[in-house]
Amino acid sequence: MRQFEDDPTLTDLLQPQQVSRLESSLEALGLGRVSLTTTRHENAIPVEFNLETVAWLSGDCSQKNLRAAAELVSFILLFVAKYRLAANLHHDATEAGYEELQRKHEALKASEARYRTLSDQLQEKVKEQVETIQKAQQELYESAKTRSVGQLAAGIAHEINNPIGFMKSNLKVAGDYLDELEEKLPGDEATRDLLNDFRDLLAESQDGARRIATIVADLKTFSSIDHAEYTHCRINDLLKAAIHLLRTSYSDRDLAIDERLGELPDIQGNPARLSEAFYNVLDNAVRAIDEEGRIIVKTATDSSGNIAVVIQDNGCGIPEASRGQVFDPFYTSRPVGSGTGLGLTVARDTVRAHNGLIKLESRLNAGTRITLLLPSKH
Amino acid sequence: MADYCSDDNRLNLKVVFYGPALSGKTTNLMQLHTLLMPERKGELMVLETRDDRTLFFDMLPIGLRGSSGLDLRLKLYTVPGQVQHDSTRKAVLSRADGIIFVADSLSAQQDNNAIAFGNLEENLEKVGLDIEALPLVIQFNKRDMADIVAEDVLQERWGPTPWSPLQMASAINGTGVVDTFRALLDRLYSVADNEFRLAERHGIDRAAFVDRLSAGDAHAPV
Repeated sequence: MRQFEDDPTLTDLLQPQQVSRLESSLEALGLGRVSLTTTRHENAIPVEFNLETVAWLSGDCSQKNLRAAAELVSFILLFVAKYRLAANLHHDATEAGYEELQRKHEALKASEARYRTLSDQLQEKVKEQVETIQKAQQELYESAKTRSVGQLAAGIAHEINNPIGFMKSNLKVAGDYLDELEEKLPGDEATRDLLNDFRDLLAESQDGARRIATIVADLKTFSSIDHAEYTHCRINDLLKAAIHLLRTSYSDRDLAIDERLGELPDIQGNPARLSEAFYNVLDNAVRAIDEEGRIIVKTATDSSGNIAVVIQDNGCGIPEASRGQVFDPFYTSRPVGSGTGLGLTVARDTVRAHNGLIKLESRLNAGTRITLLLPSKH
Repeated sequence: MADYCSDDNRLNLKVVFYGPALSGKTTNLMQLHTLLMPERKGELMVLETRDDRTLFFDMLPIGLRGSSGLDLRLKLYTVPGQVQHDSTRKAVLSRADGIIFVADSLSAQQDNNAIAFGNLEENLEKVGLDIEALPLVIQFNKRDMADIVAEDVLQERWGPTPWSPLQMASAINGTGVVDTFRALLDRLYSVADNEFRLAERHGIDRAAFVDRLSAGDAHAPV
């Protein structure tokens, strides 16, 4: 790149017609035929500028006159060059200033874009936070509702227990009375049929009463309204109750649940929360299997009394991409409205509250195994 | 940057007089034009504006020839000192081979000296020059004036810098101007000889370089 300070050549300083004009002026002064060129002619005199020979002057006159003419041309060139140098410097400086402005402009644009992205991200974050808060409020509302329904259920169960008690006892006594009546009644066909039918009615009613009593017992275990926060828990009993409740909930299906429950020590825990955790995991397992599917529930303990509960199904499994999310609140693979997305979250929180661990293993289309480890010492 | 053209065996070096406004940069150059009579000396080109303030720059070309036929030219430039001409200052400063910083000795001007020196550091960086590597001489001008900072104070203040000792001058009277220039030539020679082997290839040793480029006009008394 040419710099403003580079030594100028004759063509930089004077245009061809200006050179011609200068030559004619010198000729008019009586120097004969004069030529100012960048190449050297015979008898030519150098014209210097800035220690540099910028041109050669030749003419049909004496060397003395020619030298004077060369001096005059140098003098003129000095002023031409002054202007040229100043103009070039001005140009360079302006150009540099403009480039710097452009650079600053680009930098500003980049920084503006950065801030715009940041602002967009912030907006997105705020939206996410608002959604999370809304979901948390919804969850709180749902759980309060569930709790009050649970309390109601427990209250009803308690109230039903008494009448069921005397109904069962009365039905048994009624059966005894029927035996006594049979001896006193005539043994004809019609009477016998009537008595048999009566017995069947009583047996069915007794069976019904027993079933009501079982459901009430399960409800009591599940809602644990009878228990303090932390108490001795029989894990196998809690599991059995959860399985029973599950079968009742899915009464339209014949669930193949294989219970392989080992001998377990009692542990300290919150039975209501543990029951809920077992139920949630079992419920997921049921939803994962089809009519052919099986669920295995295993419990075992080690020498220190730590308990492992394994709930395994051979259902659809969990895609690898989703495995990291299944414990996230509100994550659900089910259609909107059919799952809260809280089941495994609650299970994990419960196990953690008991200082335990929950592990998930799954293979797509092969099944899922959830292991809940509960330490003996809380 | 020094500019060597092997076709013409010509070496161009550029020295820039830098400093705050009205510190006497142009006066330095005019005195050199008067006091020096090196082997080759061109026209002094002064582009002052009204009020005698430099608008673009002043320039004085001088030169000498080495035994190899080397055509060595030194172009001395001044920059405009006024703050608003910074882009012009930067353009003149680019590709400099040496700097003479002309500071103002007046007590009231010390802040301006510091600002101008900061501006020099900044602009050198912008044009890609390293102030540590560049030959640089600092002159405190206007020693003839009253109310100036004492020399020993200045020398002590600048003592720890690589540009010590400072040169003292009264450019208006022509004193200290050539000494400053010779000090710069001495520092410039080290760099130029290192790069262009002036002594080895062109027969120009340090003394020749300094003496011949600062040869006086019939030893005019200064």
